[in-house]
Amino acid sequence: MAGPRGTDGSLLASLPWTLAALVVSLVPHVPFLPVWITGAFLGCAAWRYLIEKRRRLLPSNGIRAGLALVCFLGVLFTYSSISGVGPGSALLAVMAALKLLETRKRRDQFVLLFLSIFLLMSSLLREQYLWSVPYMAAGVLVVMTAWLRMSAGEEQTARRSFATAGRLLMYAVPLAIAMWVFFPRLSAPFWAVPIDTSRAASGLGDSMSPGDISSLSLSGEVAFRVSFDGPVPAPGDRYWRGLVLTNFNGRTWSGPEPNISRTARGEIRPRGEAVRYEITLEPTHRQWVFALDMPTEWSLPRTFMGRQHQLARTTPIEQRVAYEVTSYTAYRTGVDLSPMYRSWYSRLPDGGNPESRELALSMRAAAGSDRAFVEAVIEMFNRDDFYYTLEPPPLGSDPVDRFLFDTRRGFCEHYASAFSVLMRAAGIPTRIVLGYQGGEINPLGGHLIVRQSDAHAWTEVWLDGTGWHRVDPTAAVAPERIESGAGDAAFEGIGETWGFTAPSRWAHQATMAWDALNAGWNGWILGYGPDTQNSFMQWLGMSDPTWRKMMLTLIVLVVGLVMLIGVVMTYRYRPPKKDEAALLYGKFVGKTGLEPRIGETAHAFGLRVCSTGAVPGTTVDAVTDAYLEARYGTGGDAARIRLRQAVAAMR
Amino acid sequence: MQRPTLETVPAGRAAQREILVRARRSLAAIILGKDEQISLALACLLARGHLLIEDLPGLGKTMLAQSLAQVLGLSFSRVQFTSDLLPADIVGVSVFRADSGEFEFRPGPVFAQLVLADEVNRATPKAQSALLEAMEEHQVSVDGSTRALPTPFFVVATQNPGDQIGTFPLPESQLDRFLMRIAIGYPDAASERELIAGEDRRSMIRDIEPVAGPETLVALQHSARAVPVSDALVSYVQALVRHTRESADVEIGLSPRGAQAIVAAARAYAFVEDHSGVYPDDVQAVFAAVSGHRLKPAGSTRFRSPAELCRHVLDSVAIP
Repeated sequence: MAGPRGTDGSLLASLPWTLAALVVSLVPHVPFLPVWITGAFLGCAAWRYLIEKRRRLLPSNGIRAGLALVCFLGVLFTYSSISGVGPGSALLAVMAALKLLETRKRRDQFVLLFLSIFLLMSSLLREQYLWSVPYMAAGVLVVMTAWLRMSAGEEQTARRSFATAGRLLMYAVPLAIAMWVFFPRLSAPFWAVPIDTSRAASGLGDSMSPGDISSLSLSGEVAFRVSFDGPVPAPGDRYWRGLVLTNFNGRTWSGPEPNISRTARGEIRPRGEAVRYEITLEPTHRQWVFALDMPTEWSLPRTFMGRQHQLARTTPIEQRVAYEVTSYTAYRTGVDLSPMYRSWYSRLPDGGNPESRELALSMRAAAGSDRAFVEAVIEMFNRDDFYYTLEPPPLGSDPVDRFLFDTRRGFCEHYASAFSVLMRAAGIPTRIVLGYQGGEINPLGGHLIVRQSDAHAWTEVWLDGTGWHRVDPTAAVAPERIESGAGDAAFEGIGETWGFTAPSRWAHQATMAWDALNAGWNGWILGYGPDTQNSFMQWLGMSDPTWRKMMLTLIVLVVGLVMLIGVVMTYRYRPPKKDEAALLYGKFVGKTGLEPRIGETAHAFGLRVCSTGAVPGTTVDAVTDAYLEARYGTGGDAARIRLRQAVAAMR
Repeated sequence: MQRPTLETVPAGRAAQREILVRARRSLAAIILGKDEQISLALACLLARGHLLIEDLPGLGKTMLAQSLAQVLGLSFSRVQFTSDLLPADIVGVSVFRADSGEFEFRPGPVFAQLVLADEVNRATPKAQSALLEAMEEHQVSVDGSTRALPTPFFVVATQNPGDQIGTFPLPESQLDRFLMRIAIGYPDAASERELIAGEDRRSMIRDIEPVAGPETLVALQHSARAVPVSDALVSYVQALVRHTRESADVEIGLSPRGAQAIVAAARAYAFVEDHSGVYPDDVQAVFAAVSGHRLKPAGSTRFRSPAELCRHVLDSVAIP
């Protein structure tokens, strides 16, 4: 006899499915969970399976309580918190695994399947990728199959349960679509998900030291995507302005905190054509907002322009955002910069990099004017043997001196930093802009992809009379970095120059297709917010859409769909095929006007029919005998024909 | 004890049918008003099972067994089980013969084609198990040598349910060895009247003309096993068995062996009834006899006897 902790192998049929459902639900969390949680999860699953298979005892209450406490403390220790997506999902996963150890009866698995669904859905709190949808669908399919397996009789095959689960999911698809389309989107969400801060943010930081940007160069991660209203600007004009660095401490450049300037926007004097486009920015976990140099209008709320014409939002960008921007690639700004600011933009730390300062002063003296000096320095970078490389040698103290006079190998941040130091040493106001440069046009989506590898640092120098000028010293060293579209560059040997091999064209096309899909997904599915919904409702013919109207439509639609699905299911339902003899006998029963009792045999029923006198005894006997022979005996066709005739002969 | 020296085994269905009709008629002439029990006993014999009759003394248990043997031309022996019965009293002993100087085996009463084990629950478990082993194995081992029992071999055991003092009730596992357990019950008034006024039953039994012999019986058993079972009927038996496992009134439901026993008995019953296949009626007819002693009613059940419980099961399961 199985005691309260004993197992009898009765779960062997359904347990593997439940375990599969749990594992499938865990998989999207695995990259974010500490390894020990995944280990504990799989360990518990294997343990439970072996217990069932070998008919061992489940662990005692004490052991289970101990394990629960250890796991709880483990989560608390790992995350130093138990709220938020990270610790929450970790706790959910590990407790689901422990729940396995007290799952004894078939119905106990219900709880596990509920947990599976919850675990599966909670992965959406982190990120909703394109592959999330097929994965969720597959996960729910597995969970539902496990559900059906739990209640399935032994005669039902797993394949059949799987098919049933699939059919049920298909019925749910129109409901899900209707809810997605019509459920009112609110501009302010009801709740916010605490973001998992343990996840390292990739992308540009708030300051620049040597090596910061080159570390990004290998990252194929998308920083943002851009769809232009008109023609795409030339590669040389695609400078995506991010933050501006103004302070140099001898090694690191840093900038002001995101600030608001009432005058900065008005200072911009556009020249030439406006460029209008929409940017879909991936989460950066920072406040900086990227736009084509130089933005004049932007649609992102709570976003302002700082003193140095950098855009920032009041809160960090924790979720993908889309915004429209108008920019001018040709502009003039800061023409009347105050002397105070001029000296501020020319500050250098006391001491350090003496050779560079000396070089700057002598070159400035030789050049005669600021403009000529700028050109001379660019010329120097171009002419002398400076190299553009991803793996520059380490620089010790006085990094600018070491770079300019010894190593001469560096990435954009080395050139921008060295150039700015030279300029400032000569008293020219200079600042460094961090952002992205270039981007690759996706021929399938028509949009521009800007990746982390496009991260770039360039400089702006202030010249008397004309204001700020963008100067990119990297362009002097590696003009192909700036002038070529990155997409073409990948096939023209530029990849090798940068230190990594160019991908094959086929792989590139696959990447492009995947990117186009993702862009569409972001734009159409994830970007379906209050505004899009509003315009979609109007397009559908709903005048002045309010949440009441949408909710009402949704309710009507859901009720209608449920009824429709009900009708479809009823129509599709095929009762198990009945024996012809049984059908004929059913007809006979109908004609007698009596109803057989449960467990009443044909003979007994026949006797009862005869006793009422409604049907002649000979007919009853003929029908009963023919039916029994046809259905249970060896009467075969002959008996069936007799039965048919006997039933037909009744009035 | 008569045995036909030369036996012609009827092969055709019609001839076998004729034998069965005559056998039933002969039995019905002696055991009055108990057609159902006669049919069940015959079916049990044809299904090559053993029969347990549980009823009060004087209701014709012995008579049924004796007349069965007589009608079917089987050798008959009777063992009265008592508390001092030894296994050797059942299977036989080896005795030393002074004239030949060798041991000679004297077969016990179990070496008969139909063995009546009267009041089987009076003997000690040791003696009971000697018989039960013989039933299961169709052979006995005495002094190290195995001796086959005659074919066919059919045990009719009787039990007296009234008194429990000084008895050793058969455990469930051993009850399982009996294909059927039936009760005979009091005869109806007309039959009883005839019993009282009529001829002496014992002399009647002696005068019964055997309608078959052992060989014929084996042929009949063979035919009984060939009665077809349709899918619908298998579903019915499955539904019945499942119901006993799921019902709150039953503590231990029917085992797969129990289901097999139902089908085997129903086949034989259908053969006795001359059905072209096994009908649900046949299953219902044998159900209580086959499963009554295999079910363990739950303590909380409202049914007072296994028979009532079986009736309830039959009334709760739809016939497919």
